[in-house]
Amino acid sequence: MLLVLSEEQKVHLGCLPRASGTAVGELGRLAMELLRRGAAPRACEAAARKLSIDVDTVQHGVEGLSYLLTESSKLMISEVDFQDSIHVLGFSDELKKLLLQLYLDNRKEIRNILSELAPKLPSYHSLEWRLDVQLASRSLRQQIKPAVTVKLHLNQNEDQTAQVLQTDPSTLLHLIQQLEQALGEMKTNHCRRIVRNMK
Amino acid sequence: QRFRFCGDLDCPDWVLAEISTLAKISSVKLKLICAQVLRDLLGEAIEYEKILKLTSDAKLESGDVKATIAVLSFILSSAAKHNVDSESLSSELQQLGLPKEHASGLCRSYEEKQSSLQDRLKACSLRLSRLGSVSWRVDYTLSSSELREVNEPLVHLTFNVQDGERGRTAAIPMALSANKFRVLLAELKQAQALMNTLL
Repeated sequence: MLLVLSEEQKVHLGCLPRASGTAVGELGRLAMELLRRGAAPRACEAAARKLSIDVDTVQHGVEGLSYLLTESSKLMISEVDFQDSIHVLGFSDELKKLLLQLYLDNRKEIRNILSELAPKLPSYHSLEWRLDVQLASRSLRQQIKPAVTVKLHLNQNEDQTAQVLQTDPSTLLHLIQQLEQALGEMKTNHCRRIVRNMK
Repeated sequence: QRFRFCGDLDCPDWVLAEISTLAKISSVKLKLICAQVLRDLLGEAIEYEKILKLTSDAKLESGDVKATIAVLSFILSSAAKHNVDSESLSSELQQLGLPKEHASGLCRSYEEKQSSLQDRLKACSLRLSRLGSVSWRVDYTLSSSELREVNEPLVHLTFNVQDGERGRTAAIPMALSANKFRVLLAELKQAQALMNTLL
């Protein structure tokens, strides 16, 4: 699978051939920092001064490189495809090798960062429960009505929410049964086959 | 094998694993560490530096110190939760491999604080809301835009309700006519009589 680069990105990456090997290495490092921590304009300015290139070129180069790296890592393209994709930019073999090395070295880390960007559903944090018996109400005395009150604490991207639920014991037993059935599904042949193939 | 202090279930694997860590500390120091853990369970501040000093002789790593606190927390709170008396706790801990002096030291600390611990656990139980206070005022309406001579008493009530755990107090105001207030009072007195039969 080949990467498709827009004209603007080709222009951004066009500054690379004019830069030396160390400069490309420095831009690669800045691109990785951009992915790890976000934009750092001062770091770009410092690099621009050190490499005697103007700030805008450095900025564009870093952005172009980070796009190249994220798209390649996202699609997990092979070395051959990577080389073919950047071939259109007309880089020297040495530069192509440098970029390929940059891609292969950082691919795993970029994929880890990208995996954290997927939307998350609220996840289980903790559960509090209470068993009560209703003995009387305004309308009816002499009752015996057990009820289980549950407070479900959920976590979603550092937000803590709580849901309060109430049920009678027979519904609770049914709930437990359903959940145990769900857990039991993992032991069926169908699930076992899939899990084996995923490992 | 089932243990009463685990709620008649099997002892968790991690607790079993940490019993040997507990045995590394001298029984005297273990009793003092228990006292600290009990302070934490009762809601007072835990003095971590004291625990570090007490465990320094046994040359425990920081991970082991935290594990010790965690396992003692579990044993003490779980025993209180299931209302286990201190002799049964001692014999069950010895079955798990804790030396006799360690078990008896731990259980003596437990026995001293068992009822305070249970009171604290009762106070921490799930509670959806709590009535903080009630303020009231009785007015006498002389006249209104609708009727020149009204001459009726009016009760203003404000219930200050505390939200479950965040402790936010919400004020719920209401105004009641004399008749409505009489009905409310009568119903609440009936509920109070019912509660008194249960105490």
